[in-house]
Formats: sequence, C-alpha cells, structure tokens
Amino acid sequence: MSSPEKTTPPRKRRGGDGSKAEIRMAFLFLLPALLLVLVFRVFPLAWGFVLSLTNTDGIGKGDWVGFANYTRAVNDPTFQDSIVNTLLLLATLPIWVMLPMLLAILIHQGVPGGKLFRAVYFFPAVLSSVIIGSIFNIVLRYDGSLNNALAAVGIDAVDWLGGSATALGSLIAVQLWSTFGMGVLIFLSGLSTVPDDIIEAARIDGARFWQRLFLIIVPSLRPIIEFVAVVTTIGVLTSMFGLIYVLTGGGPGTSTTLPEFLIWLEQGQLNRPGYASAISMILFVMMGGIAYLQIRIMTRNASL
Amino acid sequence: MSRRSKSDSRALWIAAVPMFLLALSCLYPFYFALNNALKDNRGYILDRFGLVNDPTFANFITAWSRARFDEYFMNSFTVTVGAVLALLLISSLAGFALAVLRFPYRKLVFVVILASLMIPVQVVLVPFYQTILALDLLNTRTGLILSYTAFFLPFSVYLMTAFYSALPRELVEAARVDGARFIHVWWFIMLPMGRPALLTLAILNTLYCWNDVLISLLVLQDERTLMVGITALRGEYTTNVPLLSAAIVLAAAPIVILYVLFQRKIVAGIATGAVKG
Amino acid sequence: MINLKTTLLSSAALLTFATGLSAQELTVWDWKSGDPATFGYFDAAKEAFEAANPGATVNFVVQPHDQYYTLLGTALTSGEGPDVVLVHGGAKTQSRAEALVNLTDKAENFSGVEAFSDEAGNVFALPITIQGFAVYYNKDLYEAAGLDRDAAPSSYEELAAACEAIIAKGDVPCFALGNKQGFGGEFFVSQIATSTFSDEDYAAWVAGELSWTDPKVRQIVELWVDGNERGWFNEGANSIAKFMDEYEMFMRSEAAHTVGLLSDVAHWKQFEEFLGEGNVGVFAYPNPDAEVARLPFGGGIGWAVPKAGENQELAMSLVEILADAERQAIFAVETGALPANTEVDTSKLSSEALARALELMASAPGASPHALLNPAVLEEWKRQSQSLLNGDTTVDAAVEAMEAARKANM
Repeated sequence: MSSPEKTTPPRKRRGGDGSKAEIRMAFLFLLPALLLVLVFRVFPLAWGFVLSLTNTDGIGKGDWVGFANYTRAVNDPTFQDSIVNTLLLLATLPIWVMLPMLLAILIHQGVPGGKLFRAVYFFPAVLSSVIIGSIFNIVLRYDGSLNNALAAVGIDAVDWLGGSATALGSLIAVQLWSTFGMGVLIFLSGLSTVPDDIIEAARIDGARFWQRLFLIIVPSLRPIIEFVAVVTTIGVLTSMFGLIYVLTGGGPGTSTTLPEFLIWLEQGQLNRPGYASAISMILFVMMGGIAYLQIRIMTRNASL
Repeated sequence: MSRRSKSDSRALWIAAVPMFLLALSCLYPFYFALNNALKDNRGYILDRFGLVNDPTFANFITAWSRARFDEYFMNSFTVTVGAVLALLLISSLAGFALAVLRFPYRKLVFVVILASLMIPVQVVLVPFYQTILALDLLNTRTGLILSYTAFFLPFSVYLMTAFYSALPRELVEAARVDGARFIHVWWFIMLPMGRPALLTLAILNTLYCWNDVLISLLVLQDERTLMVGITALRGEYTTNVPLLSAAIVLAAAPIVILYVLFQRKIVAGIATGAVKG
Repeated sequence: MINLKTTLLSSAALLTFATGLSAQELTVWDWKSGDPATFGYFDAAKEAFEAANPGATVNFVVQPHDQYYTLLGTALTSGEGPDVVLVHGGAKTQSRAEALVNLTDKAENFSGVEAFSDEAGNVFALPITIQGFAVYYNKDLYEAAGLDRDAAPSSYEELAAACEAIIAKGDVPCFALGNKQGFGGEFFVSQIATSTFSDEDYAAWVAGELSWTDPKVRQIVELWVDGNERGWFNEGANSIAKFMDEYEMFMRSEAAHTVGLLSDVAHWKQFEEFLGEGNVGVFAYPNPDAEVARLPFGGGIGWAVPKAGENQELAMSLVEILADAERQAIFAVETGALPANTEVDTSKLSSEALARALELMASAPGASPHALLNPAVLEEWKRQSQSLLNGDTTVDAAVEAMEAARKANM
C-alpha cells in the first residue's frame, strides 16, 4: 500500500527481489490463485460494469445508455432508502464487535460453563438462514412467542418485523445472533495469545476485573478488533439477503430494503439486469472504501 | 486462573446467567427443527410450538428418497471435498510465495487477491454466469469446485500468508542454504508446518461450501446440492415446515458433528492467523 | 508431489465425465415438483412422455422459488438452459415473452391464456391452473356473531355490518390479513378494481397510462385505508406472511374472513379440510361504487418452451402432455386447483364452497388488474400498502408516490 515503510515490521528482509529461479517459482506458485481470482471474480466485475451502462433486458441486445442507470439510482427513492438503511446498519457495528469480545473475555476468564458456551455459541452459524428465518418468523411476528412472553409480564405487543421503527433493528438482531459465534471464536483464539503472565501480574497488583479488562486485555486485542470489524462489515453488507427474504421481504415500506435485496428485486423480479448491475457497482464501490481499510489492516497483520 | 478473587468469581457467576440463556437460545433451533421434523404438516399447523406427541419418521424418508436428498448429498459431498482440497493446496502455495519468496509486485499481488474479497456473488451474478457458460463449465461439478475455490480463496490465501510469515525465518533460510529446492521447502517444511492453519481452513471452507446456495444455484442448475435442495423445499406459497425441518436436520448433521469434533483446533488455527499485529 | 497432482487431475476428470448429458434428455424447471401433493401429476406426465418418445427421458428440476426468475433470466438466452419451464401468468412473464416459443396453435382448449399472451396476442405458455381471488368466510364464526351463516355479504354495507358484528363479538378479527411481502395489498388491487374497470381502463392500465389520481384507481388506496381504519384487519398484518401464516390463522378459526385463492393452495379444499365442509362460505369483495361485485380470475401458472432450447419439438410435445386434459385432471383432483384446460372433467371437484365460487365465476367474472400492472409499479404499491397500514403515510402521499412510480416506469 502507500506506506510500506510503516507497515512492514523492521525484522523483515528489506533487500530486492530474489534470484531468477526464486522469481520463477514464486510466479508458478501464485499462478493458480491469480488465475482463479482473475477469471472468476475480477473479470465478471469488469463485465458487470459494462452491463451497468446498458439497458439490457437479458434477452435481446441492450442499448448503450451511458450512466443513465446511475442517475436513475440516485433519483430512485427506494435506492436512497436502501443507502440510509445501510448506514444505519453500519452504525451498529460496535455492537457486532464488542458483544463477541465481551463474551470471549468472560469465557477466557473462566466463567462457569465456559466450555459449553464455547461449543454452543457457534451453532447458529452452522444453520442456513432458511431455518433461522422460519424460527424467528414465529418468534417475532405480532402474535408470536416474544409478544406472548411480554404480555405475560404486562408489556404491550410490539410489531417487531412489521413496524417501520423496529423492523431493521429486529433484522439486525437476528443476524447478529446468528453470527456472533464466529466473532467469539476469533476473539477466543486471540486471547489465547495474550501472555498469561501479563494478566497474572495485573492480578497480583490487585487490579480489579474491569480495570484489567480495559487496561490490559482490550488493548492487546486491538488487531483482532480491527480484523473482526472489517470481516463483519463485509459480512453484513453481503449476506443478509436470506434473512431479509424470509423475515421481512424488504418491508414495511422500504424499512429493511438493503442494496443487496434491491439487486435481487431488480435482477430477478423486475428483469432489469442493467439497472441491477449499476446498483451492484455502487455497492461494490462502497465496499471498496471499507476494503481499503481491510487491506491496510490485513497487510499489516500478514507482515508484508 | 486459580487465584481468582472473590469479587471476580461473583462477577463471573452473574455473567454466567445471561450467557447460559444465550447458549440455550443457540440450541433452540436444533430442538425446533428436530421436534417439528417428527410432526406431520397438519400437526404442525395446529400446534407449532408444542412437543410432538405422535412422532413420525415419514418426513426423513420423504426428504431422503423422494426429494432426492440422497443424490444431493453426494453432490454436496463431492464438490465440498474437491473445493476444500483445491483451496488448501492453492492457498498454501500462494501463501508460501507471498510470505517467504522475494519477487517483484509482491504487495500488488497480495492486494489484488484480497480485494476480490469485496466482490460478492450477487454483485456479479449475470457476468459470473456468463463466464461459467463461456468456459463450458455450466452444470459441471468441476465448474462448481473451481467457483468455490475462487470465491473462498482470498480469505484462505490471507490466512496462509499470515501464518507462514509468522514462522521463524531460520527454518526457511536453513533449508535454502542446504540447497533444498523451493518445491521441496514447500512440500517438506511449509506444508507440514502449516497444519494448524490448514486444518482451520479445512473446517471453515467446508462450512462455507456446504452452506452455499447462490453459487451452486447458478453453476449447477440442473443438479442440486443439499442447501439448494432445502431452499427449493420452500414452495411458492406453502412451506411444509416438518419436511423442511427433516431436510435441515439431515443436511446440518455432518457439519455439526465436524464442528463439535474439531472446535478446539479451529480456535488454535485462527489464532495464528488473525492475531499478529 | 507428482502423485498428489495426478490424483487431483484424475479426480477432476472423473467429475467432469460424470455430468455428461444425453441429447435426448429434457430438462424441466419448475417450483412445484418437490411438493408431495404434485407427485402424482409429475409422475404421470413423465410416464406418458417417455412412453410416447422411446429413448427420451425427462428430468424435473425443482428450483427455489425465491431465485426462480433470477435463474430464468440468466438461462433463457444461454442455449444450455432448460427445455421446458413453468411460469406465472401476467406482466412478470410477459416481459420475457420474446424468449419463449409461440404456442398459439396449441392453445385452443384453454381458458386464461390472456395472462400468457404477448402484446400481439401470441400465446407463449399453456396454462394448467386458473388463479382467482375470492373472499372466504368461516360460517361458524358468522353464526357466533349473530349473523346468518348462509348470507354472504353482497354489498360494501353488508360487509361493513358483518365486520361490525364480528368485531363487537370481540373474539376474532374480521379479516385475517398477511401483508409481509405486500401480497395483501397486491391482491387488494384486483379485489377493488375488477368491479369498476372498463375495457378502456384495462388498456390504459396495462400501458401505464391510467393515472393513480383517477377515481377508480385512487379508490384502491382509499378502501385499503378504510378497511384498516374500521379495524377489519388483524393487528400486525405487516409481519404476517399471507402465505401461509394468514391462511393458517383462518384455518385455526382465528379470523372470520380471508382473501384466498382458487389455484392449488389457500383455497376451498384446504379450508374445508380444516374447518369442515359446510363451514366455508365464498363471496367476491364488494365495491361501494359497483352494482355487482366481480370475482377476479385469470390464468395461473403454465408451461413454456424457451427458444434457446435444443430440442424444441420434443419440448413442445412434453408441454402438450403436461397440459393435456388427463394430466390436468390429476393435478386438479390432487391439489384442488381449477384446471385451465376446458376439456377436464371437473365433476370430481365437488364441494359447496367450490360450487359457489364457480357460480360467481360464471355470473360475475372479472380480470385480475394486479397481474397486468407493471411489476416495478406493483412493487411500489406493496411498499405503500405497508406504510399505509402502519400509518406512516397518507392516502394523498401514497397516491402521489404511486403516480411517480407509474411515470418512472412507463
């Protein structure tokens, strides 16, 4: 990236490239990976950009329309709403990172039942969104079990999935529930590399639990926090379709319409691949901004 | 952890209560799926939450035979094994090159591979399909194996690169001074040394491949993998939840077993990859 | 190393080999053949086709319904797509008509073909079901509310009176309404407009030239809000899926009415199965501005042949078998769907509720305006219908948003 001096740890060899044999071997070793990525990912992306400049219906040949699909997107109230929803979603990111971190620290600190929690928290991530959606459908609908439980303690029913104020939040909560286990795992593995003697030393000093947490453990987890933050961001921007489809269908109104869902709608239901491609490109560029961050972090972590 | 103060352990006991409830909620879907898989559809509609009182295994039999899950199972198994093997091989090679070898544009190559992490399949749906078509890979398991390998590769390459660059340099340098050829260094040193990371990748990629719907749907249009088969059980109007539940129990069982068996090692493997700062 | 490589290569070669297809295998895409209720129909069609065409086989592939049109969109031009496809009637498929083979000369004995015709009137699919939208009511719940169990409301005032009685009784909502994906709102378009639209209105509607400020169109929005304000619908309609949560409520006797179908699910057969025969009544949704309440119906689903297919002749003969009277009779009897093939003997489909529905279809037939609406405009209406139920928008603002959507998609 732009500042290799800063991101490369000093213990790395600085020198130039290796011998001709070394360069040749490096090329051969990288060839399969590069070929796959270029053919199946980079090339389709470029093709998608070309499609976004046409008004193709997927059947006849489309006409060249320049950036009309992009202007259309900017003026499309549904698309505008989907961007607002995306920003709201991104605003919840701290929870996505902090919750698994806190759980992992508690397990690492020896919370009773920790072994069971570690094994079980990952389970929802194993299940497809179809079954998770079916279950939360029944739990969260207006006459569902959550409202029944609330009624038992005298709280009025809330239309979790059908109310415009709560739908996006409910959807995010379900997605969080179904993926937090992965974050817990990553944090747990990170904690296993924090030297025990540091934590022990603090304990002998009489530091309290919360002091140890914020002064010693959390700072030592910084790289993991960044890593989880970025991986989660990509995840929430690209893997919520299954839940949206089952739980809310994008509604009420546009409350839970995310770009990903809109792409599906325009592509499949409305048969406008050109417009769908334009939205796709915008989503890609948005993620590119985050990608920059991610690559910066990951490059540093991989000590390149 | 033995010299824990009293206030510490009280705090941990208090924390254990919500954590236990959370753990229960994570187990609930399995109870829900199993319980409903044993009901018939009418029984489910009339009582969705109650414990099954007249259990039937008919749904499992229907799912396995009539809904062709035996066939889907083999498809999922073949492509998952194929893709995971390819992923391990290719990412280990690439990781070795990126972490150890010196060559021009090293950083650029790494960036290109990582950047493709940002290209989710729904963003390139139509062109990706056209590419598969142009390569004559439509409706072939080879095509699906290659697609999975391409889509899950960036993360794997990243992890292997991180893992290898954390290994003591002396190991590699010593081997080279001995005159060992690079391919031998990779085969005799890097591959065995990389085992923890490779195991992690094997498990995670198995999970990704096994659970994928969209890529499989596009590439293997006339045959099915398990997850596509399950998605297809959700009809236009009706979803036969008991049948769906039975199918999900069958499809998730291998992954759950795999996870329970290997979960300790997954943690160990991720640690080496993500943690270095 | 070399061994590993060889092993990988040979296993890759094996995999490729295993997927080779014979030229005489027809691939059919649908979203129905995984449903146990349709097994008899699909088995019969497969058997008849393979007997008539020795050496040819047919492979039914169930596609996930949520991704069906995404897949179809990618496959229609590829040449490697399916030979025969199942499609819905209406605007969504009409936009893909040019990729489908013209089946007009085979469509003589079918009703509902209008939903499967392009602008020039060419038929691109042979329908197997008739789709209609009727109001079903629970006669026991009518009686419990002090109403005459056999007096189905025939005017808006009578419906209002019935709902008042049911609400006053206080046990169940008047209507079960599921509007999660906007289906409640979608069907409502047809319930209201079918009774007032003239032929000219339809032509303008299809062309996107009928304004949402037109009283007949605006009335859809007004009556939707009217029903909501009178408290006819259950609470939380926006989180309840029409399919099948709404219908399951009705089948558990937790609501007095539901707007159901006449095709293969959510219909008289299923309702009578749960509520008992003689307990399910049928009527068409009344409109205060129309003398007669019409029952909207049209072609439901049908079989089409993509032009890109390699075995079009064979594919067409399969479509004829899939849509013939014998096969449709099996589909009709086993699923309770109304057959589109006019030669099917429907005497085996007998029930009090069905008889009433057929009577309405004969005496007060209507079209299904929602199926003819531009799909993008329909999507906007689904969103608006949800916002209206939540009180997030007003009739005026909704009409304005619909006008904007209409103009953007002309």
